Amino acid sequence: MKTRFPLAAVLTALFAASFFIVPLIATFYFSLKMTRGELGFAAYASVFNSAAFLNTILYSTVASLIAILIGAIIIVPTAYWVRLKVPKLRPVVEFVSLLPLIVPPVVLVFGYIRLFGSNSWLPLTASTFGTDILLVVGYVVLSMPYMFRAVDNGMAAIDITTLTEAAESLGASRLRTITAVIFPNVRAAIISGAFLTFSISLGEFVLASLLNRPAFGPYLVQLGQDRAYEPAALAIMSFGFTWGCMVLMQLFATRKPGQRWLPRLFTRPAQRS
Amino acid sequence: MSFLSITNAVKTFGTNTVVKGFDLAVQKGEFVSFLGPSGCGKTTVLRMIAGFERPTSGMITIDGRDVTDAAPNKRRIGMVFQAYALFPNMNVFGNIAFGLKIAGLGKAETEARVKEMLGLIGLSHLAERFPYELSGGQQQRVALARALAPKPQVLLLDEPLSALDAKIRVSLREEIREIQRQLGITTVFVTHDQEEAMSISDRIVVMNGGRADQIGTPSDIYNRPRTRFVAGFVGTLNVLKARVLPQTARSVAVGGKTVELAQPVTTADASGLLSLALRPESLSLTASDGRDVAFEGKVKSVNFMGSVIRIRMDVGDETLSFDMFNSPDLVPPSVGDLATAHVASRDMFELSA
Repeated sequence: MKTRFPLAAVLTALFAASFFIVPLIATFYFSLKMTRGELGFAAYASVFNSAAFLNTILYSTVASLIAILIGAIIIVPTAYWVRLKVPKLRPVVEFVSLLPLIVPPVVLVFGYIRLFGSNSWLPLTASTFGTDILLVVGYVVLSMPYMFRAVDNGMAAIDITTLTEAAESLGASRLRTITAVIFPNVRAAIISGAFLTFSISLGEFVLASLLNRPAFGPYLVQLGQDRAYEPAALAIMSFGFTWGCMVLMQLFATRKPGQRWLPRLFTRPAQRS
Repeated sequence: MSFLSITNAVKTFGTNTVVKGFDLAVQKGEFVSFLGPSGCGKTTVLRMIAGFERPTSGMITIDGRDVTDAAPNKRRIGMVFQAYALFPNMNVFGNIAFGLKIAGLGKAETEARVKEMLGLIGLSHLAERFPYELSGGQQQRVALARALAPKPQVLLLDEPLSALDAKIRVSLREEIREIQRQLGITTVFVTHDQEEAMSISDRIVVMNGGRADQIGTPSDIYNRPRTRFVAGFVGTLNVLKARVLPQTARSVAVGGKTVELAQPVTTADASGLLSLALRPESLSLTASDGRDVAFEGKVKSVNFMGSVIRIRMDVGDETLSFDMFNSPDLVPPSVGDLATAHVASRDMFELSA
């Protein structure tokens, strides 16, 4: 039977996509126009030559990586334990993990400042290091819904109860079971959660701004106020970075154990018979 | 002294008592199957042996050592699960080597043992494959090798064949039995498939409502079921109402006939009523082989089942079911025909509660 071309569906999809693609193309085009009369990457070069850009991106990258590490350390054992021992509590834990989506970051950060201000019992904001800790903790909290969901979905995909029992019947301790069996099997999920955390915390503005930390988010906003072409270049770069993260997430999520990262064609010359 | 012993084990979940005073003694090298319907407690008992469930009361010993409260990883058991439970991140070699690495075996020793196990299950050529690259039967063979590699004291098999298709199930159960005999390992096998249990077990524990209704050899269980449940659960059974004749111990009236039983009646109620059971294969349309009792009736259904033809016949208020071996020359009766089924009175047995 001949299938009709879904013209209406394609036109609808193109129309919807235009809301996303047209501004992107316009921003990219604008970012190339820094030098009068010609198109070029001068705005990008200007961004990369800026010490503030390099410092803030480095700061945010380090803070994000620490947040990922802490998030994984807290969430992986929690999700594992809840699924293994108290599955009835899963909806409660899931609800708690979603709270950061309900509580606005501005409320969160004012809560931090009030709780850990210089006159509090634990004056974290009194020092730079203490404020850095608060920022990282904030990133962990903000990324919790994404990290928990990614890890929990990863655990749902494998039968962790039976795998745990199988490992224990072979003599493995609980720690060995987690490190040798559970962790490697939810690695893709953790990495997906990590990329999401990284994307969220790298451009985060509210926490960093109100805690007055030299992060990438406030730099981005500041640059938008002071310059014309560089913010457009940064927006395109941020977009590319986020999409890069998503591609990597897909690669990790769909890769099976023992599978090559690249097709054999690229890794070994084909043998001729 | 028994190698694996379970004494008066009770397991309660909340208010639900799943295992009620379970006793079992398994000898070294024995292959014992737990057979029963879903929810009878067979898997719970197995999980108590493995250490995944702690008995509410009772005791479990392995080789004289009380393991009732021991953690699963301290029991030296090997377990094969229904869902294979191979570690997806490890290849076949890695899966089989896992327990050996934990036991602290050296690299050369581990490699030799894994190779030995791969040879045992006939999958030496698949050592580098990952679980997702194997068929269900191959995965379960690897799971068996993985469980056997660290030389456990007891092998526990939790419905390992349920997820496989019929042909693989038959061949793999024979393989499991062969390997078990070869290694002489004490094995407990959980299944709800009576044919499976019958074909590979030294003894069968028929479980019902958290208790062992009967423990015996497959032949005992089939030919001399002690309870109505065992008789009904294992194989097909015809149950006839009978009445013990006054002033006698063995004579009963059944289907309008007087039948002399091989044993004196022990289960008749106050009014002399009892239930008599007979297996389909003890009935025949011919009166040969000492079949001294005949039941006349009308053929209700005729089902062709390949090697046998199952006939159901109404005899008074009762329905008798029996099988005829199929052959090209055989002309089975048709529905509605009048027929006579013959049975030897020695093949009829009483059923207790």
